[in-house]
Amino acid sequence: MKLWQNIFLSSLCLIILAVNVISVVLLNNSHRLLIEREQSHAVNEFEYFAASFSNSAIYERLKVGKIALSQEEVTKIASDMIENRRQKGSSAAIYTEDKQLLRGDLFPELDSYNEFSSYVSDVKISTDSYSIHIFDCGTAQYLTICSALKIERSVYLILTATDISEIYALREQQTEFIRRVGIISAAVISMILLIIVILLLRPLSRLNTYTKAIAGGNYKIRIRKKGSREFRELAGNMNIMADSIQKNATRLEKIAEDRQTFIANLAHEMKTPLTSILGFADLLRIKKNVSDKERAEYASVIVEETKRLRSLSGKLMELIALGSTETEKKPVSLPGMIKDTETALAPLLAKNSISLTCSSEDIVISADEELFKSLLYNIIENAVKASTIDQEITLNAGMSDGNAVIAITDHGIGMSDEDAEKVFEPFYMVDKSRSRKAGGAGLGLALCVKIAKLHNAVLTLKSRPGEGTTVYIIVSGDECL
Amino acid sequence: MIKILIIEDDINIAKMIKATLSIVNYKGHCCFDGKSGAEEAQKGIYDLILLDVMLPEMSGFDVMESIKDCGTPVIFLTALQDVADKVKGLRLGAEDYIVKPFEALELLARIDVVLRRSNKTQNIINYYGISVDVNGHTITNNGEPVQLTPKEFDVVVYFLRHQDIAVSRERLLSSIWGYEFEGESRTVDIHVQQVRRKLNLKDKLVTIPKLGYRLESQDRE
Repeated sequence: MKLWQNIFLSSLCLIILAVNVISVVLLNNSHRLLIEREQSHAVNEFEYFAASFSNSAIYERLKVGKIALSQEEVTKIASDMIENRRQKGSSAAIYTEDKQLLRGDLFPELDSYNEFSSYVSDVKISTDSYSIHIFDCGTAQYLTICSALKIERSVYLILTATDISEIYALREQQTEFIRRVGIISAAVISMILLIIVILLLRPLSRLNTYTKAIAGGNYKIRIRKKGSREFRELAGNMNIMADSIQKNATRLEKIAEDRQTFIANLAHEMKTPLTSILGFADLLRIKKNVSDKERAEYASVIVEETKRLRSLSGKLMELIALGSTETEKKPVSLPGMIKDTETALAPLLAKNSISLTCSSEDIVISADEELFKSLLYNIIENAVKASTIDQEITLNAGMSDGNAVIAITDHGIGMSDEDAEKVFEPFYMVDKSRSRKAGGAGLGLALCVKIAKLHNAVLTLKSRPGEGTTVYIIVSGDECL
Repeated sequence: MIKILIIEDDINIAKMIKATLSIVNYKGHCCFDGKSGAEEAQKGIYDLILLDVMLPEMSGFDVMESIKDCGTPVIFLTALQDVADKVKGLRLGAEDYIVKPFEALELLARIDVVLRRSNKTQNIINYYGISVDVNGHTITNNGEPVQLTPKEFDVVVYFLRHQDIAVSRERLLSSIWGYEFEGESRTVDIHVQQVRRKLNLKDKLVTIPKLGYRLESQDRE
């Protein structure tokens, strides 16, 4: 069952039950009060009847001057009394001690009612208490009061009956009325309840629609915060969830896209040298007359392109290894690493007659020594590639804003802002032909970025075409010791 | 002489293509970026354009778009195995594509097909006393007609078109019998022997050990 149906039906049942119970209790209460009133009224009448009966007997006895009245005389008085009483709309009966009807003029329905006769025969005769009873004869209800009375030395049983049908009819009427009112009010209440429940739960279906949309892949939509506080809170949390899903999805898309680009570039970078190699090798194989000059040319291209493939595969292996192995970080002195790198670069620098000037503050960082040196090596190597003969490269390392900053500056060809933006992407080469002649595969900086990431460091660069480039390695202060 | 425009940014590949073309006496001209390539192509003096897809300045597809009006047939070179790229190139009006890396003779075979389609190849080939009418499918040796089976005829034409080039059996199989043909290299040998016998080419159509056959060119002096 749906939530709104559940809430609606259960509250409706509760309300109707409560209303009915209250009305029944109220009704019975007022009925009971009415009966009690009628009863005390009847008791008063009975008292009066009994008193006047014994008074009449005394009066008659004095009038006739007898010591005691005979049964016939008492019967006569009773007849008069009852006759008199009938005129007042009530009925009475007088029995002898052994329950023989002396004189009676009861309501016919009551008189013929079985329970009444058995009641009369069972009733206990007592002069100081009343027996009050209500008889429901179906069509009419009667209240009877019965008590014994001592008149002229003998005991008589006196019974008065009052018609209380009206009270029962009234209850019947009220019950009917309440039933009608109950049905109508239940209908009205249920309508109002339905509207309230639906209105209160409407945000839920809205949330549901949005959730479905988000589940369906539409991560951009956000839920408006409306309705009661719980719903607003839920909507807020769902928005937060959608945010993080969107963020993750975008990130994954970006990763997939990067990987796709990487593979496409890799295919291109591998196939380009292979094309030259295969082509020239094939020419050497199938051509009948190959001049010495041609042979030398073809072979040198093959060697050059093979070297390019070698460099590419080497860098690729490094890149893969970097992703799969754990780095072993320990405290290393930065000036020491710079000195080692300088030594390793010496032949390359000498070959291009480029001078490298290094200065470093005494900083100790937590790093994988080999990897960090290769980062420095790669960046300085790039600077050498960008420089021409007799130029100078400087390296400055120092603390700035709590971070260790290593700046490597060359005065070479530099690059445009557009190139500077893409230069950290794998396979991006600012000047393809120049880079290839220098044996570059376009993976050096991508490698550097990866190493930097492992060391909690960031690479940035500043460059102007024709003026040179400065690369900054900013190692987060957390890694400095 | 057939003139072919090579638009390829990798200098070594361009050089290699040019050298490959030179062995069948086609003249190649190289452009190293899309823009200058498109300008060169506009001149309309080329019989065919070999176009790389990944080019600086202007992509190969853009170049193709801009030179559509020249009517020069285009074969594009691609490093990508991507079918979508090939379809895109062909839709733009390219005659064929070649996936890098490729063998020299594969390139020449593709070029040959395209040139023949645009009727730019020689129809009559003369070699010593042999005269071949490619379109008419007739061959005469010293004026006398020679009876050849269709495949034998194709083999003769292939060797005449690729003089002085060592042709492997596999290459012949794929060029004449088609890529799908799963025949053995024995088939090639039988056909070559038939051709040698019928046209008296014993000294000219020589066997190259471990490779295949080569038709020695006519002395040019």
